[in-house]
Amino acid sequence: MREILISAKTISVIKKVFREYYFNESKAIEEPLKIEQREFGYMHFGQTGMLRHLSFKSMKELDAMLVREAPSDVYCSNAYYRFPTQQPMQEKQWLGADLIFDIDGKDLGMPCVPSHSYSVCINCGYVSSPPPERGEERSSYSCPSCGCKKADHVSIPCSKCIDGSKKEARRLMDFLLADIGVERSAINIYFSGNNGFHVHINDDACTSLDSQARSDLVGYLSGTGLMLESIGIRKTNTEDLFSIKFPKSGLTYGWRRRIAEKLKIDMTSAIKLKNIVNQNGGYSAFKVELDRLAKDMGVRIDPQVTTDVHRVFRMPGTLNSKSGLSKTKSNDLYSFDPFVDACLLGDGKLSVRVKTPVKLKLKRNSFNISKESAEMPAYAAVYLMCKGLAEAN
Amino acid sequence: MAGSDLAKYPFLNEAGEYLRESSFGWEELDRPDMKYIIDRAAERIEIEVDGKMIYDNLERYEIEILTFLISLVIVKSIGIDQVLRKFALAEARRAEKFLTEDLRKQSEIKRRSVFTKIFEDLFKLKIVISEDQRLFKVRVVDYVARASHFHEQEWKLINRLVHNGYVYLDADETVRLIRNELSVLIYDKVKGMTLPILPQGIKSKADQLRPKLLSRYEWRGSAGVTDYPPCIKHALEVMNRGDNLPHSARVMLATYMLAIGKPVDEIVLMFENAPDFNEKITRYQVEHLSGMKGSRTKYSVPSCDKLRNENLCFATAECDSIINPVQFGRRKKK
Repeated sequence: MREILISAKTISVIKKVFREYYFNESKAIEEPLKIEQREFGYMHFGQTGMLRHLSFKSMKELDAMLVREAPSDVYCSNAYYRFPTQQPMQEKQWLGADLIFDIDGKDLGMPCVPSHSYSVCINCGYVSSPPPERGEERSSYSCPSCGCKKADHVSIPCSKCIDGSKKEARRLMDFLLADIGVERSAINIYFSGNNGFHVHINDDACTSLDSQARSDLVGYLSGTGLMLESIGIRKTNTEDLFSIKFPKSGLTYGWRRRIAEKLKIDMTSAIKLKNIVNQNGGYSAFKVELDRLAKDMGVRIDPQVTTDVHRVFRMPGTLNSKSGLSKTKSNDLYSFDPFVDACLLGDGKLSVRVKTPVKLKLKRNSFNISKESAEMPAYAAVYLMCKGLAEAN
Repeated sequence: MAGSDLAKYPFLNEAGEYLRESSFGWEELDRPDMKYIIDRAAERIEIEVDGKMIYDNLERYEIEILTFLISLVIVKSIGIDQVLRKFALAEARRAEKFLTEDLRKQSEIKRRSVFTKIFEDLFKLKIVISEDQRLFKVRVVDYVARASHFHEQEWKLINRLVHNGYVYLDADETVRLIRNELSVLIYDKVKGMTLPILPQGIKSKADQLRPKLLSRYEWRGSAGVTDYPPCIKHALEVMNRGDNLPHSARVMLATYMLAIGKPVDEIVLMFENAPDFNEKITRYQVEHLSGMKGSRTKYSVPSCDKLRNENLCFATAECDSIINPVQFGRRKKK
């Protein structure tokens, strides 16, 4: 959750631009299926906590709320409930939930990230660049201006970051189509509005799956828990000894095919496979290697999002307060450019005080800002203010 | 469906239709020649509740259908839920054995008819015979809905052959998928029965069996059970129903029982209703938790905080301010 302190003036400016978007672009907000069975939630700028357990009977009601409140973020449950506003959760009477996946660019460990990341002090908003690396160094952060030990680490994703997320989304599609058997028409891919993709599956067969079944799917997609026995390496009773006996059902499909192709083996390669295992140090050592291989070949999705059957998830068409970009559907991942297709705020000029020299490209316009005060289109100004890199003048 | 199928699968609707068509009436159960069937039903219950063997004697289907019906009536009349759970699970295992054999031996047409009937009609589970006819295919979604509740790693989807929306399984695996549902089906059949005034032969058989079977469940008697904290009571209830208990709840149950000094043998028995119960594995696991096996570390009972996080806490006012389930017992004993 965003912790940066944003000034009241900046909040007021961002809110005004968000409100204009919700007033002018209500058609961009996608109506969820069975809207009356969904739980909604939203957040306000500058406030912590979410208003949850809300229900809207129609898009008209929802649109009115968006214009009235101009929320920072809007969420809709993946679940369907008989009584969406009831509390506690069990009183809602769960009827099912859409299957969803979250691919977050920040979890991909892209090497380019440090070159376009900033530390924003949560106390005074001072921006330092680049931020310390993850781990110990990050925990030793100290604001050069006020000495506060806590910072929000923000990034302006570059095209490489977006390509990294797209690659994961395509890999997820491959698994869903070829293995899980989901119809292409049931898969909806959305840019998250900041630095990643959300994948929604619109398939009735999946809605009744419980959390454990979804967790099994996540394990499959992310390459977790693959046993050596699945590809024919069987442990004998004696420690670390093994024998090769390929499964009767073969190595032709799914994970078995992926691993067989990677190791360049087939059902006739028992000796070759035995040598591979031995070269890697035996059964236990090869198990570690196989785990690594499978993880590399799997999709990097957030397991908590998929296994949570009561989640409120960012609503398609609404704005993301981390960027001012919209959660936008991508019909063609190859040509989709989030910095154009999801940048839907107005062009009116806004004057901002930029806290650090920064480069960005939005709506095909490049901005290379080095001076403190600058005037720029609302979509770019809001982007920088949402990131905590600028304040309203 | 052939008569021999009804003998193996007497829970199918066709078996009920056979009884209706033959104008079967309760009064017939008092006929002397019915004694054989009543004795057979009692024997079936005893063997099945004992859980060590599968009752797989097969007679003419007319006898099998009646034996099954009478065993349901006796179990209902005995009125002990644990007996019913155990019986339902054993009946599921019996059907599972026959189904597996049928799938392995019979021609494709036969396979298909058995499958369509049992899997699709009763459990809404569509089974397709694989292209090379050696394996069976179930939809990925149907598979994970069932197998994700099994504990063994080999049942994880990633360890199955998955292609184009289907999971490929052999006969044993396909049948194992529905064991729980078969058991629930039989449990519900008995639960939903309304007993008429029972013929004397059945009533006396039930009265004879009740104390015998009750003694098996003495450790679950009221004195012990009321002293357990609600989280443990809940886990025992789930286990006694024959439902699946998550791994974390099993650890809680076993460590708690070890902490209050229950012998390993008794603890192992508490898990015998688990759908995936295997005495050898359970014993090893309980001994592992007790520090007798493996790492030799004695595991402590998870704290109330941890149990709350894992949704295993069912606190009542009696829990007061304890921070670990073992304190519940101690506090009450004072």
